[in-house]
Amino acid sequence: MAKGECSILVVEDNPDDQILTMRALRKASSHSPIILQEDGQAALGFLFGTESSKRSPQVDTLGVILLDLKLPKVSGLEVLRRIRSSPQTDWLPVVMMTSSDEPNELREAYRLGANSFVTKQIDYSKFSEQMCLLARYWLTVNQVPMVGSSRSF
Amino acid sequence: MSNHWRWQYWPLRTKLLLLTVSISTLGILLVCTSLVVVENRTYEAQLESELGVIADILTEQSAAALLFEDSQQVKTILSSLNQIETIEQVCVYNVSGDVMSALNGTGYEPCPSLDVDPAVGFVGDYYRLLEPVTLDGDIVGQFYLMSRLEVLREHIWTFIVISFSVGVGILVLLIWVASRLQRLISEPIVELSNAADRISNEHDYSIRVPVYGKDELGILGSAFNEMIGTIQQQNQKILQSKNDLERTVAERTSELSLANRELEAFSFSVSHDLRQPLRAVEGFGQALEEDCRDQLDDTGLDYLARIRAATVRMGGLIDGMLVLSRVSRQAMEVERVDLSAMLAEILEELQDTTDTVPSEVTIQPDMQVVGDERMLRIAFQNLLENAWKYTSKNEKRAIDVSACEEHNSITIALKDNGVGFDMKYVDKLFVAFNRLHTPAQFSGTGLGLATVDRVVRRHFGRVFAESPIDSGACFYVELPRPERGAESGLQQQATR
Repeated sequence: MAKGECSILVVEDNPDDQILTMRALRKASSHSPIILQEDGQAALGFLFGTESSKRSPQVDTLGVILLDLKLPKVSGLEVLRRIRSSPQTDWLPVVMMTSSDEPNELREAYRLGANSFVTKQIDYSKFSEQMCLLARYWLTVNQVPMVGSSRSF
Repeated sequence: MSNHWRWQYWPLRTKLLLLTVSISTLGILLVCTSLVVVENRTYEAQLESELGVIADILTEQSAAALLFEDSQQVKTILSSLNQIETIEQVCVYNVSGDVMSALNGTGYEPCPSLDVDPAVGFVGDYYRLLEPVTLDGDIVGQFYLMSRLEVLREHIWTFIVISFSVGVGILVLLIWVASRLQRLISEPIVELSNAADRISNEHDYSIRVPVYGKDELGILGSAFNEMIGTIQQQNQKILQSKNDLERTVAERTSELSLANRELEAFSFSVSHDLRQPLRAVEGFGQALEEDCRDQLDDTGLDYLARIRAATVRMGGLIDGMLVLSRVSRQAMEVERVDLSAMLAEILEELQDTTDTVPSEVTIQPDMQVVGDERMLRIAFQNLLENAWKYTSKNEKRAIDVSACEEHNSITIALKDNGVGFDMKYVDKLFVAFNRLHTPAQFSGTGLGLATVDRVVRRHFGRVFAESPIDSGACFYVELPRPERGAESGLQQQATR
């Protein structure tokens, strides 16, 4: 699978941020599929499946997860912990996104195995630049394990 | 060791006993002696009178014989005295002083001559008596009698032995009684002393001494008990208030840590929840500007630009508040900081910003302070940025940073040639959200100097400023000098 076809999973609860993030990401990487999950629980259902549904096949195509730190129901750090504790997902690059830059949160995120930590800028042009850099790096520069049929767990 | 034989180390009961014994001994000795003396006198007087009577009878009987110089008759009269063993010698003299007749006892000794007056009375071991023999008022001769005193001496010796034996007996009895009675006085004192000893050693203030009677010892015991009771009460009070204090401190500490946790939650909330809508406003503003530019006229675009500028300002305010709250509660990591190098780094960043004013900045080399590097960087960044900002309307910018070391502090002075400030408002300079310039003159949040103040305070230092008219501003940061003491003091504060 070509690198350009990797998809991005965005976990973001705030509708404003959803729109703004999606807008910035589309501008940065128009051809990459962007998957949106609205909270931690939904993200976990998407990644691991629920009682009523199986895990999404789209998981195999993921190139990076942009995970908001503060989420209702299941927090971003909890989602991160679950991702890291399952062999199906522990390889996935996770970028923690937050509005704050609390040193404690930062340390905890890295301790739980975050690959990157980004404070969302208030200035939208700076935010757009951040999204652009993220998409470029994680989808075109960074390497993830072989995807698709060869990923057998 | 030898000290303990001294009088002051003797136990009280020994002293009391010794006192009683010595006084009793003295008394008994005096009584015995006077008894012996009196007895001696009495016995001597009795002897004297007995012998006097004998002499009277004999002189009377021998008067006629003397007159007729009938020595045979005198001898017969005198021989009656042979029965009295103690009489050593009896001599009868005629009127001219010649010995008429004599009766000699065991030891032969001639009758004394009357030419010299013989010693009469008690002399040595003998009692001597010389009496004139009279008949019808005329002296017809002399009667001399010498008696041995051995019976008297024996009697007196027996008396001495008996009286002193009785004395010793009484003394023994007295000592026994005294040793019992002295306890009445010594025992309460000894108990008092033991109790005082135990209290001072064991710090057990519940100990009381038994109180005997109402005399001075009783009063002493009661007063002692009362005193110890007061000490015990006071101790309890002190303990109570110490416990109260500890509880209060614990309560306050837990309240404080709760408040701290709330503050942390609050600042997290501020940083996250306030930023998010702000980012939405800014983001959608830009999206509007980019995507719907054609549908807005110049006024609309101007409004939009103002909305976006305001959100950026508010973002700055939130950031400032966060920094202020962080420097207030963040744990300190104290180390030696090369301030000159730090200022040079900050200056390099400042010089990168778009500012065309020709600048002349001098930083005194090798300024060393002790503190938390991150916090100090925030403080001095604020101060240098301020100096930079308020000199940005000058033709030429001059900033000078120098240090002045004193006995136990180091004062860093940052002097600029900027617009300065009105000294009237110097008190408001370091208070959060107080600004001395309008945003139109100089931009700012009003949080920078408050943050500086907070950082310096946490380093046990102080910050102050002055602004002479028309010659810029000078900010002084006084920090405890990099000494071992200050370092450890700050370290203690940091680990708390």
